[in-house]
Amino acid sequence: MPQGTQSSPPSDFSKVRTTSPSGLTILRRVAGKPGSDGWRAALLVAVAYYLGAKVGFAFTFQPHPISTLWLPNSLLLAALVLTPTSSWLLLLAAALPAHLAAELQSGVPLTMVLGWFASNCTEALIGAACIRRFCAAPLRFDSFRHVGAFLVFGAFLGPLLSSFLDAALVTAVGWGQEAYWPLVRQRFLSNVLAALIVVPFVLTWAAGGVAAVRRASPQRAAEAVLLFSCLLAVGIAIFDRDRSILPALLYAPLPFLLWAAVRLGPRGSSSAVVTLVVLAIWGATHGEGPFSTSSVAENARSVQLFLIAVSVPVLLLAAALEERLKAREALQMSEQRFATAFRSSPDPMMIVRLSDGVILDANARWEAMFGYSLEEAVGRSTADLALYANQADHRTVFDRIGKYGGIRDFEVEMRDRDGSARQAVLAAETVEVGGIACFIGTLHDVTAQRRAEREAKEQSRQLTHLTRVALLGQLSGALAHELYQPLTAILSNAQAAQRFLASGRVDPAEFRDILADIVAEDKRAGEVIHRLRALFRQGETQFQPLDTNDLVRDTLDLAHGDLIARDIDVTTELPPGLPAVRADRIQIQQVLLNLFVNATEAMSQTAARERKLTIRTQALRDGGVAVSVADCGPGIPDTRESRLFEPFFTTKPQGLGLGLSISRAIVTAHGGRLWATNNSGLGATFHIELPQRVGASS
Amino acid sequence: MTPAAGTVFLVDDDPGVLKALTRLLRASGREVRAFASPEEFLSGHDPAIPGCLLFDVVMPGRDGLELHRELAASGIERAVVFISGQGDVPTSVRAMKAGAVDFLAKPFDDHELLSAVEIAIEKDELLRRIRAERTSIQNRLATLTLRERQVLEHVVSGQLNKHIAAELGTVEKTVKVHRGRIMRKMGAGSLVELVRLADLAGIRPPRVQPLVG
Repeated sequence: MPQGTQSSPPSDFSKVRTTSPSGLTILRRVAGKPGSDGWRAALLVAVAYYLGAKVGFAFTFQPHPISTLWLPNSLLLAALVLTPTSSWLLLLAAALPAHLAAELQSGVPLTMVLGWFASNCTEALIGAACIRRFCAAPLRFDSFRHVGAFLVFGAFLGPLLSSFLDAALVTAVGWGQEAYWPLVRQRFLSNVLAALIVVPFVLTWAAGGVAAVRRASPQRAAEAVLLFSCLLAVGIAIFDRDRSILPALLYAPLPFLLWAAVRLGPRGSSSAVVTLVVLAIWGATHGEGPFSTSSVAENARSVQLFLIAVSVPVLLLAAALEERLKAREALQMSEQRFATAFRSSPDPMMIVRLSDGVILDANARWEAMFGYSLEEAVGRSTADLALYANQADHRTVFDRIGKYGGIRDFEVEMRDRDGSARQAVLAAETVEVGGIACFIGTLHDVTAQRRAEREAKEQSRQLTHLTRVALLGQLSGALAHELYQPLTAILSNAQAAQRFLASGRVDPAEFRDILADIVAEDKRAGEVIHRLRALFRQGETQFQPLDTNDLVRDTLDLAHGDLIARDIDVTTELPPGLPAVRADRIQIQQVLLNLFVNATEAMSQTAARERKLTIRTQALRDGGVAVSVADCGPGIPDTRESRLFEPFFTTKPQGLGLGLSISRAIVTAHGGRLWATNNSGLGATFHIELPQRVGASS
Repeated sequence: MTPAAGTVFLVDDDPGVLKALTRLLRASGREVRAFASPEEFLSGHDPAIPGCLLFDVVMPGRDGLELHRELAASGIERAVVFISGQGDVPTSVRAMKAGAVDFLAKPFDDHELLSAVEIAIEKDELLRRIRAERTSIQNRLATLTLRERQVLEHVVSGQLNKHIAAELGTVEKTVKVHRGRIMRKMGAGSLVELVRLADLAGIRPPRVQPLVG
């Protein structure tokens, strides 16, 4: 704090004001690149500090040695708040030459000058560090929290603590005649006032102030010009002219400050405060206005207290108003966003009252989905419109929303205006609309998707069936053989009996035997037909516990004729006690039959003696079952191995090329695997693995 | 008409069919030897017993056609009827070409089977008779002297005695004596019968220059 005797004119004050915002914008940019910007910021701080000190000297009551408005500390505080901590040292170092230059001109001893620098830096550092700790975002004076943090730390704690140090140094050096406590008080008030006007002003303007002025509408610019003109006029009339005004007139500038706070925000109000302070102190220091009537010290204290008392509420008011404005804007924005999202959503949406299911609003997609216009739907309940195809779903939706506050991915069948079924996935969330509990439901129309899925499933089922029928067609000769054998036995037995009767040689024992044979053979034929019918049938997939060994034997019986006709020697290794697997018997039989037929066809060129088909079953460690079908054909050429399971890939002239791809699809739908390997010796082996537990869908 | 006596050698791998066919054949008065596999048949078959073969075509290992071929290759000639549950045309054609009496698709009526078996047994009987006659003729031929044999060859070719005499460098009278002996030894009552016997015995006239032309 200066106790200078000089009174240099405050001609540079306006310069400080104009250079500060744009210069401090550079300070903000220092973060991350302390290169040229860093040095420019340092230079700026040095110049501002120097000019601030000069202004401080200018606002000194003559002959009172204490400046009423000591700016350098607050400028330093503003600079530190704006810059990252990494560049603080540089900025403080830059302030030192400015400090020396300003102070040494006034003939103060060097120790005192350095001491003051130390206390000035301490003040700025305390304020900046604490503010930074309490406000994560850049300090912008647009919320109670920001203004509060600034007032407590920057405008109160920093000046207070550093004033103790400052006064102690002055006393220790023995400069001047003031006692310790008066010194503390004087410096404290001076610096509080400086902080109150400088920091908000600099910081609000640094945060895009110039850009905001450029952006301002003509009306707003005119309003600002009018406001400041009035403020200047009133201020000059009161503070810089006659000292004999009524005390009540001191409050004349207050409406303009409130005007600024209400209409122009933190930036405008801090600028108005600066204007007022400059006018008041200018008058006071030049013996004009209401603060020039008492002693110098008293005048200084009066003007300081007056200005502090005025500026603090104005800053708080501006912040509070700004905060409310922003909150309202945010709310409006969010409401607008919601309205836009609701209206333009690609999915149908509705807002429904929770208590009775009455539709309060719906969007265009909802109208399109259900065929009701908004006028028809609003005010009627979802039950009234019979929107849910079944009551249970309707209840579930409301129950869950009531219980958990929402519902997710709930697939529900709904009905449109014509009564057609619409399959939809519903997501809903409860909200309060005008104090009424509602839910916003978003529907995803999956009608077409589900139909496509159903059709695909149906097609796949038909294709499976067709390939099965084709496979049986391929085996028709062998299958007929299986049927002709018992039929031959039955016919011959019956005709033998007829002949015995005709010849009169009736032996009851022989007849019993014949009839027993006929019964047995008839049953055998029945079983063949039963097996075939099951394979020909186009049924739904049915998962049931399955004895794999039994199925292998059954399928071998079916292929028996073909295997014999082709001279195939069948070997089976079917260990007892395999776990049951859940599978569709017919489909797995189709897979096995397909593998058997493929194996026999693969061996058509093999010498008759070497035509061996080996079928093995085996329990898997995880409870599943493995089946392997090994032939002695030529094996699978490397080039074909990868394409073997592709649809329409075939090596046979009559083959459709669907057998293996369908087989793999069947096994995969059972949660299992189907693959092929070449044997170390002759031929190839096809492997099936079926898990014990299978998903319910196919 | 009483059926020709003869055993039916039945081979079918299907036990039900084997039993039923055996029963049917026996009911119609046939003697039946039933075998469940070609191997069983090969080890139990007696070629001396008259009768026919009734083979199933589709059997594991050797099929019926192969079995028949093998049998023929080893010199056993017997009439055969094939039966099959997979009565496809190519197989039946192969069977008939191999000399089968019939090819029956299962299931068949008893009349079909019995008449096929009947024909096969008759054919077997005929074959046996032919074989027996051929053997007896061969035996009689063996009693002819070389000269008589030469004369026989010329006689069956229809030459006159004097031509034969000129051919063999002898006189007509001597040829007449040889002819008389040949007729007696061969047991032929007429020239026509002698020619038939010689034909059955496979005697062909020697190549001679035609006299006229």
